[in-house]
Amino acid sequence: MERADLTEAAQLASVDGNWAIKADGVSFTYSGAGRKALDGLNLAIRAGEFTVIAGASGAGKSTFCYCCNGLIPHFVRGQLDGDVRVFGRSTGSSKINQLAQDVGLVFQDFEAQLFSTNVELEVAFGPENFALPREEIRRRVRESLATVGLTGLERREPATLSGGQKQRLAIASVLAMEPRVIVMDEPTTDLDPVGKEGVFRVARQLRERAEFTMVVAEHETEEAIGADRVVVLDGGRIVADGSPRAVLARADWLEELGVQPLGAAQVLARLGEPVALTVEEAAARLADRGYRIDPASAARQDAAEAARAAGYGEVVLEARDLAYTYPNGVAALSGANLSVRRGEFVAVVGQNGSGKTTLVKHFNGLLAPTAGEVTVLGRPTTGQSVLQLGRSVGYVFQNPDHQIFAETVFDEVAFGPRNHGVPPGEVKERVAEALAAVGLAGRDREDPFAMTKGERQRVAVASVLATRPHVIVLDEPTTGLDYREQRRMMDLVRRLNEAGHTVIIVTHTMWVVAEYAHRTVVVKDGAIWLDGPTRAVMAREEELLAASLKPPQVVRLGNRLGRAFLSVAEAVRLLERPEAAGDAAPDDAAPGRAAGRGGRG
Amino acid sequence: MDIYLYVEADTPLHRLDPRAKMLMLLALLLMAVAVDHPVLPGGLFLLVLVLAHVGRAWRSLRRVRTLLFIIGVFSTVTWSLFARGETPLFGPVQVEALLYGIGTGFKLVSTIAGSVVFLATTKNEEIATGLIRIGVPYPVAFAFSTALRLVPTFVGAGVTIIQAQKSRGLDVESGGFFQRLRKHLPLMVPVFAAAIRSTNQLAMALEAKGFGARPVRTYYLHLEFRPADWITAATGAALVVTALYLRLFSDALRIPGLIR
Repeated sequence: MERADLTEAAQLASVDGNWAIKADGVSFTYSGAGRKALDGLNLAIRAGEFTVIAGASGAGKSTFCYCCNGLIPHFVRGQLDGDVRVFGRSTGSSKINQLAQDVGLVFQDFEAQLFSTNVELEVAFGPENFALPREEIRRRVRESLATVGLTGLERREPATLSGGQKQRLAIASVLAMEPRVIVMDEPTTDLDPVGKEGVFRVARQLRERAEFTMVVAEHETEEAIGADRVVVLDGGRIVADGSPRAVLARADWLEELGVQPLGAAQVLARLGEPVALTVEEAAARLADRGYRIDPASAARQDAAEAARAAGYGEVVLEARDLAYTYPNGVAALSGANLSVRRGEFVAVVGQNGSGKTTLVKHFNGLLAPTAGEVTVLGRPTTGQSVLQLGRSVGYVFQNPDHQIFAETVFDEVAFGPRNHGVPPGEVKERVAEALAAVGLAGRDREDPFAMTKGERQRVAVASVLATRPHVIVLDEPTTGLDYREQRRMMDLVRRLNEAGHTVIIVTHTMWVVAEYAHRTVVVKDGAIWLDGPTRAVMAREEELLAASLKPPQVVRLGNRLGRAFLSVAEAVRLLERPEAAGDAAPDDAAPGRAAGRGGRG
Repeated sequence: MDIYLYVEADTPLHRLDPRAKMLMLLALLLMAVAVDHPVLPGGLFLLVLVLAHVGRAWRSLRRVRTLLFIIGVFSTVTWSLFARGETPLFGPVQVEALLYGIGTGFKLVSTIAGSVVFLATTKNEEIATGLIRIGVPYPVAFAFSTALRLVPTFVGAGVTIIQAQKSRGLDVESGGFFQRLRKHLPLMVPVFAAAIRSTNQLAMALEAKGFGARPVRTYYLHLEFRPADWITAATGAALVVTALYLRLFSDALRIPGLIR
């Protein structure tokens, strides 16, 4: 009953010329920050609309989300100008906990927003605060859990859920308050591809219920296809606002803004063809227009890849029948075999909790095998300390904030070499060399805590490089970075590999794997599930899906056409139209293609 | 990685009202410290083991077994050495002192194990709700249960941070005291930074879920005193009185000839 009343009110409100969310000339500067995070933003969102807010880090997405439920200006300190209204109510003059009944906010960090000891109590927390009767709370808990597909897990401890389940639980805990607007701030950033899909499936389902207004901030665009509207922010201002088709079609332009473009759209745009947003649509269009993969280019590519594989050196890392059981009895690895040769670039992929990080932590001795053996440069790791192994294997942790402690970048990067007893003169030289390698030359006097996340991640890499290890292991090097930062990071990793380092990355960001790694190892349930050249692994979509992984659009597009494309540039290079000469309009394809390659916006 | 002590199960101990369990825990603590003779603390320790079995708390107890063992042995040895008695046993140790040492060891071990069994069979929210029902203001009870909740989070971050710094060659085990203290800086700074960040996130999540929106809130967990709870509480109360009596007015279970 209550629901129906609310819906009617919402409809009345929008007919009335009111909006679910209306931001008028909103500017916000975080205290201590030099520039505005939002800069005169005007954005009105209709009741019942599903809006995706896209943009690079620092574009103002989170800031806008925090403005919607009053965290700005009530919790986050800074200077707010302009007015944000939620169903006509000004957020400036309402308390956050009162707004919570109208606006539910799902945070990016799903670990930090869950605090109860079981799933049921987590969901009940919101309604409890609004003093609802116990029976009503029980109903809401049941319904919210059913909506996000967690029915049956009521008694589970949130910490034991997978990442995707945790984020869906966070959504359920917000749904239980039955807000009219649901705002999600990059809800899928830390999730594996299938976890991401689960969250977006829930979002789509909610959207079908007319009473909800949904606002989702994202820097990946594939999931924005189903939205009513896509708004692109840059520097705190709106730079595009329209239907997904209109906005996402501008793939190269989005990429320049630091937003990950749709692979399918980008390929078609660069070929000068009308844009398609989905893989199926794009594959059909390419087939229609008579495109095929040029056999000669494909053969050349195969030969080049075979030559590269033949050029690898001796085995530097080897795991034989490796098993590892954590002290609490969880068997994370059971019988993993892997050998890595000098000069390889290997991606170890798998869903959250598959055992991929456990596997690589054996390579620098952080973990010792429960059974089996791990050798580094031919010597077993057992009996060697992390310090000793650190001379050959450098390990960059996922979150740079778990290691940065020094007051200057110089001291931070010098930490490793000093621990290894390198004399001061040489430390200086090594720090300079490492900073140059990560593109931070000359910034050694800066405070690492004041740098951006992408820069801090590069400081972390430099601090490992400075010990001059031969093998470099990077755990989730792109997590928490936006598309532009991810690319800069991975270009850096590629340069390290080209300079002779053996590189192992652990990730579930599949476009990074496709575009950068030469070899892909898929870990599933503590064992090696697939292992081979990236192109071959990427072609096996079904087996990847079984491991909760899904290749990016451009790869899937290639798979439909008979060969996995590892990047958009490669797709454009390999696709040709033999019958183009006989086409009715032969001139429009070729110039478009040339212009596309030039990076037309 | 799960670092919570609570074990989800449906046992008579889990079903008890948290208030009855809290009273029982208090009784256990008082009984343990009431007398010096090892018979009572030793008996309490056996009782705790039985309760651990009933409440299926073995998994949690196992996780603190090293700690229990070290504390038990260490206090038995030190107190045997520090206390004095009349009947020589071997070297500087007298029979009375040894008994005293064993008693002290069991006191510590039974109270720690008892608390672990309590935490293994009582959810954070139940503790909070129980505290509220006995008159503790909601914000205080909530802060208490949140603190319990955050400990494992910080421990988890700490483990990662130690691994990250070890990977960069940090070696905290060698060197003199001050040198080792200085080596902890690379651990402490990120731990505190992480703690501040996650506390801040938690605060935002609480606000966004309407924390404190109404002067009175509903408690979803329904606490109800059933006959078993009344019996437990009554037993607990009787034990508290007995403990106070033993400590203050009785000479029973003392160790004759012990000089502290």
